Amino acid sequence: MDMQGPSAYSTASLRVAGRRDSGGDIAADPSLDTKHFRVCRFIMETGVKLCMRSVPVATACVLYHRFFERVSIHAYEPYLVAMSCVYLAGKVEEQHIRTRDIINVSHRYFNSGSTPLECDKEFWDLRDSVVQCELLILRQLNFQVSFEHPHKYLLHYLLSVKSLVNRHAWSRTPVAETSWALLRDCYHGAMVICHRPQHIAIAMLYLALNSYGVELPAGEREWWQVLCDDVMKADIDAVIADLLQLYDMEAKCI
Amino acid sequence: MDRDLLRQCLTYHGQSLFNTLKCEQTENPDFQAVVSDLCKATYESRCEEQSNPLVEQFIARKADILFSPVWRTAGLRGEEHEEEEAVEPYAVMPPMEVFMEVSYEERRSMIYRDLERGDIVVGRINNIREYGFFLTLFCTAGGLKRDIEDLELSALCHVREIPSTGSHDDPLAYYQIGDFIRAGVKDIDRYQEKITVSLHQACLSPSLEHIKLGVITKEELPVHYSRSVQAATDSSETYERILTGCHGYHNPSVVDYLLEKVGISDTHPPSMMRGLQSKLFQAEDFASAIRKKQSASWALKCVRAGVDHFKHGRHVEAMNEYNKALEIDISNVEALVARGALYANKGSIMKAITDFERALENCPDHRNAKKYLCQTLVERGKQLEEQEKLVTAEGLYRRALALDGSNPEAQEALHKITDTIQKSIRLREEALAKEQVKTKSGQSSAEKLRKILKEEKRMKKKRKRSSSSSSSTSSRTSSSSTSSSSSRRQSKKKKKKRRKSERGSKRHRRISSKESRRSNEGKKDRNEKEEDDEVEWYPAPSNTSATFLNQVGGLGFGLRDEEQVEGKDADDRKSFKLYSLSAASEEEESDSSQRERKGRDREESRTKKTKSSLSRSPDREKIRSRSRERRNRSRDGDRKKDRRSSDSKRRSSLDENSKRKLSCSSGELEYSGRKSSYRPEHSGNSTSKHPENRNDSSSRNLFEENRGRLEVHGADQVKREKESRMEEGTIPDQGHSKKGSAGNQNEQCSMGAKKDLPANLLDIFNQIAQFEKEKGVKPKK
Repeated sequence: MDMQGPSAYSTASLRVAGRRDSGGDIAADPSLDTKHFRVCRFIMETGVKLCMRSVPVATACVLYHRFFERVSIHAYEPYLVAMSCVYLAGKVEEQHIRTRDIINVSHRYFNSGSTPLECDKEFWDLRDSVVQCELLILRQLNFQVSFEHPHKYLLHYLLSVKSLVNRHAWSRTPVAETSWALLRDCYHGAMVICHRPQHIAIAMLYLALNSYGVELPAGEREWWQVLCDDVMKADIDAVIADLLQLYDMEAKCI
Repeated sequence: MDRDLLRQCLTYHGQSLFNTLKCEQTENPDFQAVVSDLCKATYESRCEEQSNPLVEQFIARKADILFSPVWRTAGLRGEEHEEEEAVEPYAVMPPMEVFMEVSYEERRSMIYRDLERGDIVVGRINNIREYGFFLTLFCTAGGLKRDIEDLELSALCHVREIPSTGSHDDPLAYYQIGDFIRAGVKDIDRYQEKITVSLHQACLSPSLEHIKLGVITKEELPVHYSRSVQAATDSSETYERILTGCHGYHNPSVVDYLLEKVGISDTHPPSMMRGLQSKLFQAEDFASAIRKKQSASWALKCVRAGVDHFKHGRHVEAMNEYNKALEIDISNVEALVARGALYANKGSIMKAITDFERALENCPDHRNAKKYLCQTLVERGKQLEEQEKLVTAEGLYRRALALDGSNPEAQEALHKITDTIQKSIRLREEALAKEQVKTKSGQSSAEKLRKILKEEKRMKKKRKRSSSSSSSTSSRTSSSSTSSSSSRRQSKKKKKKRRKSERGSKRHRRISSKESRRSNEGKKDRNEKEEDDEVEWYPAPSNTSATFLNQVGGLGFGLRDEEQVEGKDADDRKSFKLYSLSAASEEEESDSSQRERKGRDREESRTKKTKSSLSRSPDREKIRSRSRERRNRSRDGDRKKDRRSSDSKRRSSLDENSKRKLSCSSGELEYSGRKSSYRPEHSGNSTSKHPENRNDSSSRNLFEENRGRLEVHGADQVKREKESRMEEGTIPDQGHSKKGSAGNQNEQCSMGAKKDLPANLLDIFNQIAQFEKEKGVKPKK
């Protein structure tokens, strides 16, 4: 009945290995990537169940990735960090999520089909851990918790590109949905903190257009060159490659 | 799978993708259905640069999602006209062609391809002929955003397409060369490359209909156009710079706004990940669902604790728990039912009804809620019956029966009340008839009495006229008498509630018949005499409020009951004090309630007398007399009063006895007669609450008195009981009105039941004497 992953978390277990020991070990070990992938999947699922919008979920993921960029995954319980990231992201993005809901949804995530938690000591301990961990994240990130996300860019790009395409062809092709889905899926990996948000947005749009074989008029400059000054085809390819790797990872590990 | 979309994709990517697709989607029946169709065409890769095999693999693997018909959530949405909006909710960007430097030919062919009937274009008049004018188009408005300024597009607006102003002038006279014209595209000839436009609103597509056509000023030109002009003139302007420079880009809710505009749901977000498909999310896993369930369980825990408190008689704690439960879960049915039951127990019938109703709103089939509401409605109905609001009471009974058609209490009550209503109508008619007969026949003793009473009334009126107070005596009297009766009712109710609560705790035991309830009572700590009383009084036609009064009057209450009443009373008084300090309008209410309490006290004393004259212990007397001393009154008067009050008590007990005899011997008619005699007084109760009473100086006095007394005595209930009785004498109007009430009663009684006159008269005379004596005390104050 206990939570599997986060069962051990308490304020005590948070400090198993102390602060900033190894300075992060991201991408050092492929097994870590899958671990982070799973935790990010947890954040995504939790986000949907908490009815969070895309941007707060994205912030939660970025908080998570940034945190483990600095800290070894062995130092802290990643699921607890994820829960606190969701909580903190809700505050940062002005969509406040209550800890109670986070704990409830997480509890059900780890014990599917279980009855809701009682209002007892266990619940309050969990709550305390989440709040404590939030403070830990804040300190680790030096209180820099607001990020620029590709979402805004992507939506503006979508409108601009839409004007280039015949309206009937556009309405037939779900470019907007696909690019939005791709963008959300990006957050499964640390790739989101490795690329510029504009580049990510362009890459998502590029992949979506490409997937449906939508052709845009060609001028002296390509459409993606117009949208962002410093983007190269190589950048787009890199982002797409990273994303496709995440999809491979899903097939492998879930 | 969307075949056209898949074909479009295959045409773009070529044969290699098709091969991969066939590999990856072998198990997809949807793909197998379309594959033969797709095989027919051969796909030459049109993509100059060799396509990325990884991307092709991705497309092939996710084809079932990408080309699923349900994937596309955003339909063809109506275009908003952003220029119309006062603020810019998102960054309106110039068309991308401006930066992409698309060739003239391509742009020209694109606009002829994409421009449609119903679109809006903006142009400058370059030529006016008798059949219309020509426009040079320089920008588009509405949904389509294109850079067309240098495309040398010309459009004709025929004179027919210009709305005339109604007079006979030439419509063209209003237009001059160089005017900016916003026009709707009427027709487009793609081969001859001819565009005709119209100024009639009707030519626009429905989503753009709100945009006004005709001459516009430079300021009204579309935002994207002015921005593209700006970008064209300044080569350092880039898309990115314009984007970040727009106010709309910095709008904090730009993402939400644009998502809606684009048509993507952010609560059921799309994903390419197999594990995040929205169909995998179960409704019961969502936070709101869990929270609801959890709240319900937490609330239920509180309710259980509350019920436990309740069973042990800790009502305050129980109420706290119920309230906590409702705080956690505002519509928790169990908590509402439990709190309703507690309210009902405490006599707050209206609150109880509200709670039960709310519970039934949330769970229309809740058995206990239904049962309790039914009972409470009957209770309330009886209350209303007391107040002679028979029709309302009848409505409540009907409602109760609608809830539970088999409720015997409700059935009985409804049956009785319909009888009563009919009877009262009949009796009133009879009384009227008798009155007429009486006037014909000679003077009877009743007649004499009535004369005396009338005389007295006249005197009273005179006095009232002389005094400036606007109180209506009748209303005051009636309210006092009614309140006494209702207090009786209340105490009876209390008892019933206790019964009910017991039933509530043992939910499964259902006691439906009166017999079983009475047997239940028998188990209680009630003495035999009481029960005899009750049994004795049941056979009497109990469908009238008068019998009801007598019946209850004959009953004795346990001391605990009394104390409960008194305790509640004390609370009431405190709150009244508070209220009255703040608002004068409350005074009136407090007054009536005090009267009510007084009546109840009186009633209680009478009850005690009836039960046994020994119930008054000597030490109680002592306390009373001591309390009297505390009130700074002359001892002399006190002693007199004491004597008098005890006198009156004895007399009232006598009254009671005689009444009882009377009711025993005489039949239904007598009762209903008396009942009808009570009626005007009861109905007067409502009038006593009317504002006319508000300025009643005497009521204010009374209130002040009340307050003073409170300060002196605090919560000593026994004392108060006595004092309130004394108070009757202390206020002049009060005593007087009492007497008036007696007179009224007398009069009506004599009218209603002539044949029982001697007994009735005795009764009435006793009352008169009693009030007279009380009145006699009055000047001493």
